[in-house]
Amino acid sequence: MLLARVEGNVVATRKHPSLEGWRLVLCQPISNAGEPEGVPLVAIDCQGAGLHQRVVLSSDGAAARARVGDPHSPVRWLVLGVVDEKEPGVPV
Amino acid sequence: MKLGTVIGRVTLSVTTAKLEGARWLIVSPFTREHYQRGTETPPGLSDAPSLVVYDNLGGDVGQTIGYVEGREAAQPFATPPPIDAINAALVDDIFYHPFNK
Repeated sequence: MLLARVEGNVVATRKHPSLEGWRLVLCQPISNAGEPEGVPLVAIDCQGAGLHQRVVLSSDGAAARARVGDPHSPVRWLVLGVVDEKEPGVPV
Repeated sequence: MKLGTVIGRVTLSVTTAKLEGARWLIVSPFTREHYQRGTETPPGLSDAPSLVVYDNLGGDVGQTIGYVEGREAAQPFATPPPIDAINAALVDDIFYHPFNK
């Protein structure tokens, strides 16, 4: 799982049928200090993550396939949840 | 899924039986800088090594695609073929707003 920041979204008409109707968000993995690390990833979002919010990404393909409801989906990254605070009482 | 630009195609005359007739694309992965240009083809290649991606959506040179790497690439097939990157989406538009503190 990765800590990431939502930095945009992607629009694609022609795609694997299992991705139909899903939000594809661009997520930049970040360090604990919030510095970008590595290349942005495209993840499916079922939590309604907003722009520049911190999220936790999961690379569990089996969980993502269960989420889209298609055992033949190539989907891998999904937004697990939106980060409220990294430590108790310190909102991000 | 990661994004990349299609910079070429590959054809195989001798191949595993399962992959006969398959379409292959050579893809140059986007770096963080490339995202700022939207779907415009980036000038030159990115530093990251290019890869060959299985394609059944009909991507072509100059297009931006979303590809999936790893075990998940073989999931769309009834019997998993020996591939580890697949084209999952032809990207129409990218909305990218980098976060500045």
